[in-house]
Amino acid sequence: MRGHRWTTPYLFVLPALLVYGLFVLAPIGDSFRLSFLQWPSPSSAPVWCGLRNFAELTHDHVFRLALWHNALLLILSLVIQLPVALLLAVLLSYPMRARGLFRTAFFAPMVMPTAAIAVLWQFVYAPEEGLLSRFIQVLDPSFAYPWLAVPSAALPCVFVVICWRYTGFHMVLFMAGISAIPEPLYEAARLDGASEFQLVRHVTLPMLRPVLAVSATLSVIGSLKYFDLVYLMAGGVPEESRELMATYIYRLAFEENQGRYGYGSAAAVALFVIALVVIIPLQARRARGEGARP
Amino acid sequence: MKMFRSILRHAILLGFLLLSAYPLLWMALASVRTEGDARRYPFSPPREWTAENLRVVAESGSFGQAYVNSVVVCVAGVFGAVALSSCAAFAFARLRFRGQRALFLLFLLGMMVPVHVTLIPLNRLMGTGGLGLKGTLWALIGPYIGFALPLSILILRGAFARIPEELVDAARIDGCSTWGVFTRVALPLVRSAIATVVIFNFLTMWNEFAFALTLLDPARPTLPLAITQFSGEHGIRLTQTCAALTVVVLPLLVVYCLAQKHIIRGLTAGAVKG
Repeated sequence: MRGHRWTTPYLFVLPALLVYGLFVLAPIGDSFRLSFLQWPSPSSAPVWCGLRNFAELTHDHVFRLALWHNALLLILSLVIQLPVALLLAVLLSYPMRARGLFRTAFFAPMVMPTAAIAVLWQFVYAPEEGLLSRFIQVLDPSFAYPWLAVPSAALPCVFVVICWRYTGFHMVLFMAGISAIPEPLYEAARLDGASEFQLVRHVTLPMLRPVLAVSATLSVIGSLKYFDLVYLMAGGVPEESRELMATYIYRLAFEENQGRYGYGSAAAVALFVIALVVIIPLQARRARGEGARP
Repeated sequence: MKMFRSILRHAILLGFLLLSAYPLLWMALASVRTEGDARRYPFSPPREWTAENLRVVAESGSFGQAYVNSVVVCVAGVFGAVALSSCAAFAFARLRFRGQRALFLLFLLGMMVPVHVTLIPLNRLMGTGGLGLKGTLWALIGPYIGFALPLSILILRGAFARIPEELVDAARIDGCSTWGVFTRVALPLVRSAIATVVIFNFLTMWNEFAFALTLLDPARPTLPLAITQFSGEHGIRLTQTCAALTVVVLPLLVVYCLAQKHIIRGLTAGAVKG
């Protein structure tokens, strides 16, 4: 549009920019500043310490484990959650009466608060009276297992809940992608004698590649943001076996007897940098791919 | 063979449906049965019905206040996010100015930032040395709007860009100012995108936990915080906690079932357009 004063566009953008600057950009900048301070507790005076917090971070095995746990959840999402979502989407792509019902049910957990989901699933995982243990007790009446209190089991148990919440989301994306595949492709393949499995393998999957890339990218972004479910559900195991980057930042700064704002900020800066380094190339690839589409 | 395949397909789907829906069904039923009944026969339908659990939740009082708090924060947050993002998105889509691309990319950056990076600085910003809002609902509204802007601007920019140039030109010739074109021509044409933005932001804010945990006074929580507090205090009574969960979740699920087309589109908009 032409014919506006040169200041007009800035007036349109300014209110958003002010709020965004004050509550998003400035805090990120402040994180960088705080990360150079040695500040063992909020009541003590902060002291400039250069890169010492970052040096400490590289030796901090809890932080390294937190990184690994984030990566682990991402890997599990890519190899378990997305294939399950794909399976459901493919199964629902066949003509059937109750498709809408299935879609509604699988997507429903997406509208629930994660806090409510965490509380609900604690009843599933309770050691003796939880639904999971009670279910196994049908076969073995004396069965009991403290699912969320066993260090090696806690994170995988939370991962199941993550799947429970997000699989329907990816499934909906895949369903939309499948419905956009031109029917003549399937007809041609059928005429060539392709089996149902071959149709999925050689028509659906290749055509779905852009959507699969979107889902994978969203999984990467999402995996760096995990906090609520792990924080609320996995509190019963030692930090080494459950801490994520976000929960570690939270614990360093806000848990009782902590309040390490400087060191916590260094961890936050590390998370920020990791997020940019991992996500920007993915987004740039997506942006290019989108430009190529008609 | 075809028959067999169809049965197999339905069997797998029903299996996943059970996994997906059973916890919710169990929760809703547990809220209306007695504690002993729920513990003795966890998998069977209620044998002893009671409204006692719901009464305890209603009388605990904290949920009524938390509902009000959540509504206040979400209404203010959604309104602010839509107002600010629609103005900015209109400028990014229809006006030309220096630094346009750089500013737009700056906003997009916000989609990649995990909110947890800002927990510590926002606590300082809201604390007594800063804005002094910590512990009040105001402390949530600013960050909620700030973090809602990137995706909202992205979605709305796309919608504004799809408005045909002729409509804008015609309004211009009729003497509309830029603001007039924005409010009278452009905004009404992007109603469905605005609905998407409203739904997405409302659910995100309604369910948000980390900011609420660190910026609010535990005595004046929003719903997600209230539900974890309730389970901390009453967790031993599973039926009472389930009643609290049901009170929080059931209205959401009912609205979802009624408007699922819009809600699914709203929640997946970021994936499709981002």
